[in-house]
Amino acid sequence: MSEVAVISTFESDEECAQGIRALHDARIHEFRAFFPFPSEKILEAVDHVRSWGPSPVRYWQLFGGITGVLSAIALTFGTSWEWNLIVGGRPVISVPPYIIIMFELLILIGGLSGLTGFFVHNRMPVFDPLRGYRSRFSEDKFGLVVQCDEGVAGRVESVLRDAGAEDITREILEAATEHH
Amino acid sequence: MAAAVETNLQPRYIDVDRQVQRAMAPGGLTYWMWVLFCAFLTALGIGFWTNQVYKGLGVTGLTEPTMWAPYITNFVFWVGIAHCGTLISAILFLFRVRWRTAIYRCAETMTVFAVATAGLFPLIHLGRLWFFYFVVPYPNERYLQPDFRSPLVWDFFAIGTYLTISTVFLLTGLIPDCANARELATGWRKTLYSIFSFGWQGTDRQWRNFQMVYLLLAGFATPLVLSVHSVVSWDFAMTQVPGWHSTIFAPYFVAGAIFSGCAFVMTLIIPLRRFWRLQDVVTIWHLDNLSKIVLLTSLIISYSYCVESFMVWYSQDPLEMTTFHQRYFGPQGYLFWIMVTCNCVIPLLLFSPRVRTNTVSLFIISIFVNIGMWLERFVIIAGSLATNTMPSQWRFYTPHVTEVVITVASFGWFLMNFSLFAKFMPIVSMTEMKEGISWLRQAVRTSYPYQKAA
Repeated sequence: MSEVAVISTFESDEECAQGIRALHDARIHEFRAFFPFPSEKILEAVDHVRSWGPSPVRYWQLFGGITGVLSAIALTFGTSWEWNLIVGGRPVISVPPYIIIMFELLILIGGLSGLTGFFVHNRMPVFDPLRGYRSRFSEDKFGLVVQCDEGVAGRVESVLRDAGAEDITREILEAATEHH
Repeated sequence: MAAAVETNLQPRYIDVDRQVQRAMAPGGLTYWMWVLFCAFLTALGIGFWTNQVYKGLGVTGLTEPTMWAPYITNFVFWVGIAHCGTLISAILFLFRVRWRTAIYRCAETMTVFAVATAGLFPLIHLGRLWFFYFVVPYPNERYLQPDFRSPLVWDFFAIGTYLTISTVFLLTGLIPDCANARELATGWRKTLYSIFSFGWQGTDRQWRNFQMVYLLLAGFATPLVLSVHSVVSWDFAMTQVPGWHSTIFAPYFVAGAIFSGCAFVMTLIIPLRRFWRLQDVVTIWHLDNLSKIVLLTSLIISYSYCVESFMVWYSQDPLEMTTFHQRYFGPQGYLFWIMVTCNCVIPLLLFSPRVRTNTVSLFIISIFVNIGMWLERFVIIAGSLATNTMPSQWRFYTPHVTEVVITVASFGWFLMNFSLFAKFMPIVSMTEMKEGISWLRQAVRTSYPYQKAA
């Protein structure tokens, strides 16, 4: 039995969130949602179904920030020890001004590593459209794409239609042809 | 009639795309003439700067004791302008302020180009700019390292970090919008938006990570924005110069930066919404809220002027007293009073709801604020240096044509970059507008029943 992708289109984020919950209730877990703006309703439904928890990008930012502070400590303390000139009668190691450098590098390296984490976890840049992606999912429509065996596709379509999908398309994965 | 109102309150998402895309449509003759004019000003500035590099700083009016005058004034002015972008995009995002959605992209863009403009002035100001890299900490054969106790080195780190993080923040927010624009564009524009969208397709996983990185960047940018202008103020406050050596400088500069930045956003966005017909996206409600921030910060800096003067009087320090007396009643005292009029008196008009909802009056007030805030920096920097601790050295700065042209050119350079960006990139965030469009319409209709809602 071949595998298919059932592509459903919704008019509103509320209906799309309802579709996600309906799929979960029908014990269908292999799906991907597409939406044009960060809808709280859809993200809540996805979180509820997948139990993902907060994004791991925060760890990248945390470790980046720590790296930034440590780099600043090494830079300021290290170079002051190496070039221990007394300027204006101030101590060679003057901690208060070094805190400014630590703060700036915390923000700089933390921010850049957070961005790196964002690209890594999203596997970006993406060069080809993901299966089931439609251009209107970046404009004004909400999509749910379910990958399943052809035998189950009918049940999936029925669940999505009941949830309010306005259009449902089936795509055979091997042949990549579409029919309604 | 009821049906028409219902339609206005429930616009379609595609309507937002159409309105923003109208602004991104190929520019007409007027637009390109404007860009060309800005490019001409920039080229003129480059010409004068080249002459200054070739002949030395002697071609300027900079002389002892006023060695910091228009260039450093421009530096502080443009950093201050840059301040507001991150305030609107990051701080208001953290506070979930809904009216930021229509204007934050414009403010962020302004931030990036304003910091880029500000960053040029320390270079322009250097007599031997080819030694600029001395401030960069790296192992070298000169056995020298930057002194991390110097505010100028703090400035290098603060401005560098601010420019980088502001750019990252702008580009991250642009990713979903460029994906949106990519689907509607053709030809080379499609390629451009494909590059800047990094293949974004708006999946649940992508949005989840996007939400997190955007929140964290906003969280990081918030203390950064407060720190940057504080650090800039310490360039002055850490010295012993009368008129500069004050503990009030950091909050005073930050409030002034927000004041001038918000006014500059109005200066930019009011013509933009008029010429590119963005009135349904950037509504009078947004401008009203922005002008309330301008009014609030105007009151804060008016208070700061009073406190600064009071502290000088209370200290009875003869040097400080003399400097301030010269600032108010000296040969260039008229600049101070123009500044007070522009920054403290004219913005009081914003107490009137009629003024706040009239775009012409808002635009005029914003221009006065820009002039006032430039003068504020000039009065503090050049005025304080002119009356130093040696009365025999006192000398007020007189501008020469080089500084005037380079100052005007900086506006040309900024406006050219901003105009080009606004034409080729979504200057209003389509994704965030879609998220809150229904709420926006209701807010506009509730707050301004006499205004056209859609």
